Amino acid sequence: MTTHTESGQATGMTRRDVLGIMGLTGLVGAIAAIFGRIPFLRSLIPAPRPATRSETERGEHHWGMVIDLSRCIGCEYCVYACQAVNDVPDDMRWNVHVIDRTAAGDIFHLTRNCMHCQEAPCVMVCPVGATYVREDGIVVMDYDVCIGCRYCQAACPYDARHFNWKARDDVNPYEPTWGVAEIERRPRGVMEKCTFCVHRIDAGLERGMIPGVHREATPACVNICPVEARFFGDLNDPESTVSQILASRPTIRLREELGTEPSVYYIPPDGEERLDP
Amino acid sequence: MKRIVNFIKEAPLFSAWIGFLLIPMAFGLYAGVQVLMKGLVLTDLSDRVPWGLWITVDLSSIASGGGAFILSAFVYLLGLKRYRPIARAAVLVGFLGYTSAMLALLMDIGRPDRFWHPVVFWNVHSLLWEITWCVLLYASVLTLEMLPTVLDAPFLARHKWLVKLGHTLHKFAPVLAVFGLGLSLLHQSSLGATYGVLVGRPIWFKPTMSVLFILSAAAGGLALTMTVTIIVGRLAGKHMVPPKLIRELAQVAGFAMLAYLYLKIWDWASIAYYGHNLPADRVEAFSLLSSSTPYDVTFWWGEVLLCGLIPAIIFLWPALRRDEGMLIVGGILAVAGLVIMRWNVTLSGAVIPMDWSPGVADIFPVATYNPTAIEWMVTGGIVAYWLMAFSLAVKFLPIYPEAAEREVAEEKVAATAAQKVA
Repeated sequence: MTTHTESGQATGMTRRDVLGIMGLTGLVGAIAAIFGRIPFLRSLIPAPRPATRSETERGEHHWGMVIDLSRCIGCEYCVYACQAVNDVPDDMRWNVHVIDRTAAGDIFHLTRNCMHCQEAPCVMVCPVGATYVREDGIVVMDYDVCIGCRYCQAACPYDARHFNWKARDDVNPYEPTWGVAEIERRPRGVMEKCTFCVHRIDAGLERGMIPGVHREATPACVNICPVEARFFGDLNDPESTVSQILASRPTIRLREELGTEPSVYYIPPDGEERLDP
Repeated sequence: MKRIVNFIKEAPLFSAWIGFLLIPMAFGLYAGVQVLMKGLVLTDLSDRVPWGLWITVDLSSIASGGGAFILSAFVYLLGLKRYRPIARAAVLVGFLGYTSAMLALLMDIGRPDRFWHPVVFWNVHSLLWEITWCVLLYASVLTLEMLPTVLDAPFLARHKWLVKLGHTLHKFAPVLAVFGLGLSLLHQSSLGATYGVLVGRPIWFKPTMSVLFILSAAAGGLALTMTVTIIVGRLAGKHMVPPKLIRELAQVAGFAMLAYLYLKIWDWASIAYYGHNLPADRVEAFSLLSSSTPYDVTFWWGEVLLCGLIPAIIFLWPALRRDEGMLIVGGILAVAGLVIMRWNVTLSGAVIPMDWSPGVADIFPVATYNPTAIEWMVTGGIVAYWLMAFSLAVKFLPIYPEAAEREVAEEKVAATAAQKVA
């Protein structure tokens, strides 16, 4: 306070000026407080979207996925089905396949979509809250709010986010062989990512179906897998397939040490089986 | 029209300079319109390297405005009135830095039509959200700080009420300065933290980022304000501010530079030299960085030696500091160091592939990024805007109200020296 007054005097401000400024600041504060109190005025301020799991109210469901790396044969059907249903071009694949190696050097096939982290780094950093964790644990994008700054892309520890660098006019070669586009193409300049086929889940629940059990309410990548290496379901429901697998088999999550709390679990590869075709 | 012709006759060199700047500005405008029409596909950015040249421009120009908040602190918080003569120049450099940054950002975001979204849609966890607010507010503060200077211009003197408004605004200068200081401290460091908090990125994720950013902004921003003041003085044949003040500023910039280098070295040592217990991905990321990119060369020779130690020595060595030519060299090197540091930070963290599964990192090559002609044109346009606005402001506004004729001032110095001898 002393410094303030001193500097004020040094630059030709009187005590009255300083008090006046302080009063003005108080007035602004009071107006802000009034805005917060009166519901009508408060509704003018958009409510910030919850950004972390602790802020999001826990819903009834927590959708999750289990991918069995000991079964995956790397056929890439899940990759193509995703591209058809979500209308994704080759260079923006939401679901990717890579040939990976175990610590012992054995080859295995890894497919990776968005991990739907409960403490998602991408959600934390978005300057406009365009991406957020839903109550059911799914991390989604609001394409109408995204400004395309690509901070989420820099933040994602899994390379799961893809930017629309250009306006799309391509013909999707995966249609109709691998499925039919169920959602709109995203506009130029926004970020996009795997949604766990959220449109199927929401529509399915409305019609009384159980995602993970009924095919119409289950992500395309899970439905198409020819070796049943992908499972989907409610992690909150102990009876669901995914919960049963998690209870009975050892599973890992990618980069778990970062504290991102992914909703996608992997059954580790079985090296010997893979080497013995 | 006739007035313009007369002006060109009166100041042919200045007019030629302005005319020359129109060329890169035209190219920049053309490239900017192209980007707005066709999108970021015209850049060499990719999902692997989402940020590049324009983010470097954005970070560097914000940092180059760092002189404004340091000098505000000197004049209004510490009451060091002798820094007054250069305060307006610092505010001008800050204002131009922030407007340049906003231009670069407008180009860089995918949806420029939604630039205002952070104001309406809040995410209080996001550093970028906080930075957007700080930059918007601080740009407003700088505009208000600029206004008295503009209203003080000789060609507005006949409008009495404008002059009065300027004086009234000037009264609030200390409040604005203190408010601006808070905003600056917040976002200059947050810009570093923008990278520092990204837990998934082994090269970016560290606590020192914010400190390195704010210290380098203090050093580089002061150096830029000082350098342009010397250059203007040389061209005008005047002392825009007392020479003693320039030397003092150089000293402050030099010490800020040393502090920055000191922390930089320890930051490097704690990770690269003593960091045997670091997570494997970080060790691997750094070895990959030195084996496959010119990072080591640009870091040691660029950031540390040529654009770090050398300007620090020039600014702090009394004999060198007295030579204005040397100070210009030092200032340019210091600003270059600022830009190289921002470029290195932005690129180093992005190009290294992430290993989200054991062995996956080996599959992906180190990403490359070579800015396209469009990106360079926009950058050139922004730089030309900066130079143009600065030149015009210095020519037509009382940026240096206490500029004194060089000869007179030097005679005075000589006279006092003679007196002392006698």
